[in-house]
Amino acid sequence: MIRGVIIMNDQGKPRLIKFYEFQPVEKQHELVRSIYRILCSRAENVSNFVKVDSLFGPDVRLVYKTFATLYFVFVFDNSENELAMLDLMQVFVETLDKCFSNVCELDVVFNFSKVHTILDEIILGGQVLETSSSEVVKAVEEISKMERNANSILPASWQGR
Amino acid sequence: MALSGMRGLSVFISDVRNCQNKEQERLRVDKELGNIRTRFKNEKGLTPYEKKKYVWKMLYIYMLGYDVDFGHMEAVSLISAPKYPEKQVGYIVTSCLLNENHDFLRLAINTVRNDIIGRNETFQCLALTLVGNIGGRDFAESLAPDVQKLLISSSCRPLVRKKAALCLLRLYRKNPDVVNVDGWSDRMAQLLDERDMGVLTSCMSLLVALVSNNHDAYWSCLPKCVKTLERLARNQDVPQEYTYYGIPSPWLQVKTMRALQYFPAVEDPNTRRSLFEVLQRILMGTDVVKNVNKNNASHAVLFEALALVMHLDAEKEMMSQCVALLGKFIAVREPNIRYLGLENMTRMLMVTDVQDIIKRHQAQIITSLKDPDISIRRRALDLLYGMCDVSNAKDIVEELLQYLSSADFAMREELSLKAAILAEKFAPDLSWYVDVILQLIDKAGDFVSDDIWFRVVQFVTNNEDLQPYAALKAREYLDKPAIHETMVKVSAYILGEYSHLLARRPGCSPKEIFIVIHEKLPTVSTSTIPILLSTYAKILMHTQPPDQDLQRQIWAIFSKYESCIDAEIQQRAVEYHALSMKGAALMDILAEMPKFPERQSLLIKKAEDSEADTAEQSAIKLRTQQQTSNALVLTDQRPANGTPQVNQLGLVKVPTMSNADPSTAEQGLTHANGALTIVDPQPPSTTSPDLLGDLLGTLAIEGPPGPVTAPQSDPRVASGLEGGVDALAIATVEDQTNAVQPIGDIAERFHALCLKDSGVLYEDPHIQIGIKADWRAHQGRVVLFLGNKNLGALSSVQALILSPSHLKIELSLVPDIIPPRAQVQCPLEIINLHPSRDSAVLDFSYNFGTQLVNVKLRLPAVLNKFLQPIPISAEEFFPQWRSLSGPPLKLQEVVRGVRPMLLAEMANLFNSLNLMVCPGLDPNANNLVVSTTFYSENTRAMLCLIRIETDPADRTQLRMTIASGDPTLTFELKEFVKEQLISIPITSRVATPPMAPQGQPLSPPTALLSSDPGAMLAGLL
Repeated sequence: MIRGVIIMNDQGKPRLIKFYEFQPVEKQHELVRSIYRILCSRAENVSNFVKVDSLFGPDVRLVYKTFATLYFVFVFDNSENELAMLDLMQVFVETLDKCFSNVCELDVVFNFSKVHTILDEIILGGQVLETSSSEVVKAVEEISKMERNANSILPASWQGR
Repeated sequence: MALSGMRGLSVFISDVRNCQNKEQERLRVDKELGNIRTRFKNEKGLTPYEKKKYVWKMLYIYMLGYDVDFGHMEAVSLISAPKYPEKQVGYIVTSCLLNENHDFLRLAINTVRNDIIGRNETFQCLALTLVGNIGGRDFAESLAPDVQKLLISSSCRPLVRKKAALCLLRLYRKNPDVVNVDGWSDRMAQLLDERDMGVLTSCMSLLVALVSNNHDAYWSCLPKCVKTLERLARNQDVPQEYTYYGIPSPWLQVKTMRALQYFPAVEDPNTRRSLFEVLQRILMGTDVVKNVNKNNASHAVLFEALALVMHLDAEKEMMSQCVALLGKFIAVREPNIRYLGLENMTRMLMVTDVQDIIKRHQAQIITSLKDPDISIRRRALDLLYGMCDVSNAKDIVEELLQYLSSADFAMREELSLKAAILAEKFAPDLSWYVDVILQLIDKAGDFVSDDIWFRVVQFVTNNEDLQPYAALKAREYLDKPAIHETMVKVSAYILGEYSHLLARRPGCSPKEIFIVIHEKLPTVSTSTIPILLSTYAKILMHTQPPDQDLQRQIWAIFSKYESCIDAEIQQRAVEYHALSMKGAALMDILAEMPKFPERQSLLIKKAEDSEADTAEQSAIKLRTQQQTSNALVLTDQRPANGTPQVNQLGLVKVPTMSNADPSTAEQGLTHANGALTIVDPQPPSTTSPDLLGDLLGTLAIEGPPGPVTAPQSDPRVASGLEGGVDALAIATVEDQTNAVQPIGDIAERFHALCLKDSGVLYEDPHIQIGIKADWRAHQGRVVLFLGNKNLGALSSVQALILSPSHLKIELSLVPDIIPPRAQVQCPLEIINLHPSRDSAVLDFSYNFGTQLVNVKLRLPAVLNKFLQPIPISAEEFFPQWRSLSGPPLKLQEVVRGVRPMLLAEMANLFNSLNLMVCPGLDPNANNLVVSTTFYSENTRAMLCLIRIETDPADRTQLRMTIASGDPTLTFELKEFVKEQLISIPITSRVATPPMAPQGQPLSPPTALLSSDPGAMLAGLL
């Protein structure tokens, strides 16, 4: 099972936190900080895997990858295949890239709600939901359309507050 | 537009981003929270849009790490908003903010259910996502049937169904009862025929969860999994959008292979063959290429295939191929592949027979210890630790020692612990072990725990041959300029005990030894000084006739510490001073420490304990449970190579108390050491689990066995102690036969194993005996898996086979000792000579501590194992049936008292006994015709035919006719089938259940007395 997905920048600022097992907010931040410390100490050209038993309990590991200024982190237990997790992360990033055309940190910051929507189409309850990024894009576009339609009937004065 | 633009939210995010420091950020966030709070309070004026905006802000603030303790109700209430955007926000934010037990969630159940059963697909998706992420028991109870309906509905879009599958998975985890196995296993098999890859992937995850709990119910899914794998890996039959960097959906391939790992075996030969063909294709067809993503994907599949091959117990050839692949991987440039190569090689160690091939890669693995990536270095260390045995221990431990000086601090403690354990487990000779530990202390003293040096002292004390060597080594280390405090402790201790053995060597006179130790005193901490004082007292004692000068110096030190503020130091100084005034009498009081009772290494125990607890049910874990072999077992399995065994370090056999209850064991140990302060009632919980802990905590003065000159302070106590030791020794050597109760019903286990080929034959708190059998015609190969469940070794393990005359059984060597937590495999070769219903008995016994356990177990090498079902046509049947006319080749009997069962059940029973029911041969639907082939050395293959005529009005009786070409076979088979049909209460005639716990040990009074110091004193007074 995937225990959590975290996006943070190279300063350790969280950009998206999603745990699939509930963690109280203090604990979430402690975990994010600890993970950031681990990732900072990793050199370039090393593996993408780190065992994090000390943070999450036995047999829990994480994969991470840096994309420009962002760290993407998946935390998961030994019922998942490490490289498959790395692939899934790639799908997530490629999907973001398609949705935001050349995604950068700012896109993630200002559209964190959309990033949540995208993630929900890829992972559900800690399990892989969809692996085809074109399918995910399709689903997300459908959702956007729904929102546009709903919004268009709102009085104009309500928008932009 | 909600997804891309909500200006209020964007403004707030920029504000937060523009904050110069954490303080400003907090101010801005607090202001916003205040604002939201007031807006929520007078909710009337709030538009849905505003509500939505505030709820998003809450989530953002929450992500930044601030507690948002209000507004949850608003988030939940958005779920019931009529319009999609609000509803969506409600669902997303609720599932991030609330945990599954939150009260507000219960309020939302109805709305969620309405969305799930409603017609709006987008609402269905939202609701399923929420439940799949945070649905708890309440949701499981009220929603599971609806979710199941969505999953199997043909009118639903894949988008909804795949979410329903994962949602159901979540509900199943929270409450396994929601999936009713009976109906669901067939559905599950159908779902695996799904063409949509998204739905199929989700269903596969669902299957993994289901089979990990109960694989028996889902056998029908196994061939489907193999088909799916063939479709992907062989036929590449996948829509373009599911091809990831040229690999057909790697996730689905991985999940499918993961599901297969939860089935204990693939029995059907055709399925097995197809599966191995695909696996072979994956193993051979994967190359390292330039594109990283493609590499990752193809290797994800490859590593999963490797895991599956290991699980399936493939032929040795394929296993060696796997090891060769892994050997290639651990040397490639790609760090991820190196990492996984090492990790999988470590798992590979659990497979029998490949350890030697793995050892060929030792040099490369050692190189990985110097990898720039600490993740890889750790994996290399794990692997080296796992693959170490007597044959390579020296090389590996020396590598670890060398690496220790350059290793990062984060790893040193683990490294030194592992080196110490390996040195202990596999030392080719004890002096080498001493060398290793001293080097460890020298190189990484800060990372060497007390347990490590306690252990070396135990060995030196228990092995006389080792004492001069250890003393000499300790002396050499003391010459080094700056040595670690632990080194001071261990050398002082050893020299105190044994430096007199060196007396003739240069630089080793008592005085010189004293000087070199005393030089260190100013550099050590308070905890070390008591050890040094003991050493001085011992040196003084060994100097006979006394050296006046030395005596004066040491006395001066004692008197100096007599006023020390530390109570331990003060007490020792006072007592040693007083004692050492006594001249020659000192000899007895300060004599050498007695040998320690043999006991399991605390280090190894610790290491095992830490390995023991893993929470999640996983394929790997199941596998580990099935075969917990590690290096420990391996050495034991090869007694032939003449190298010392695990136990060689504990050369001394002292009546052990390792199995007594902890408090008396501790008491016993303290007694054995003759510690002076025993009268102080020590609560058992505070006593150190290790001998030396006791030893160092109290005065290390020993009265030798026999008449003692006890210190005057309390002579009665000391002599009483000696009595205590003896009494305890007697008490514990007594046999306490079978105070151990089996777990589960032995007879039931036997009967279950008559119908299947693998399972548990016997289990008690100490051991589990599993069985795995493979039957070919009249021959069988049965492997007994003897698994020690304890942290202590099982000794005097004996297995005898009492075989009936018709079976020839050869049992391979059973090791005398099963190491802690280890599993030993003992193959049995069985040949069936002629037909008989008798069964063989395994007479099994072992000792755990002082408990002797003996059980007699029937072996499931029963008649039906030598049967092979054979389909027969009408053209073949009738001539045969007619030709076998009348007794003794054809027997008929009316059987009464039959266990009532439906015809279909009876047919199932026959089929499971390898008696094949051939439908359509008998025109009467109430009858069964059965055919099978029986194999034995005498009869060779022999066709057997059976006809059962039942009476639907009375299911307790039937008429049975049995025919075969051999009279004995006909008779035995008839009786055998009868036994199966009649409900005889299962007797445990042969498999005698272990007796009830025996009363008291034979000499309890003294033992009891001696273990209670108060009572002991009272008795003496």
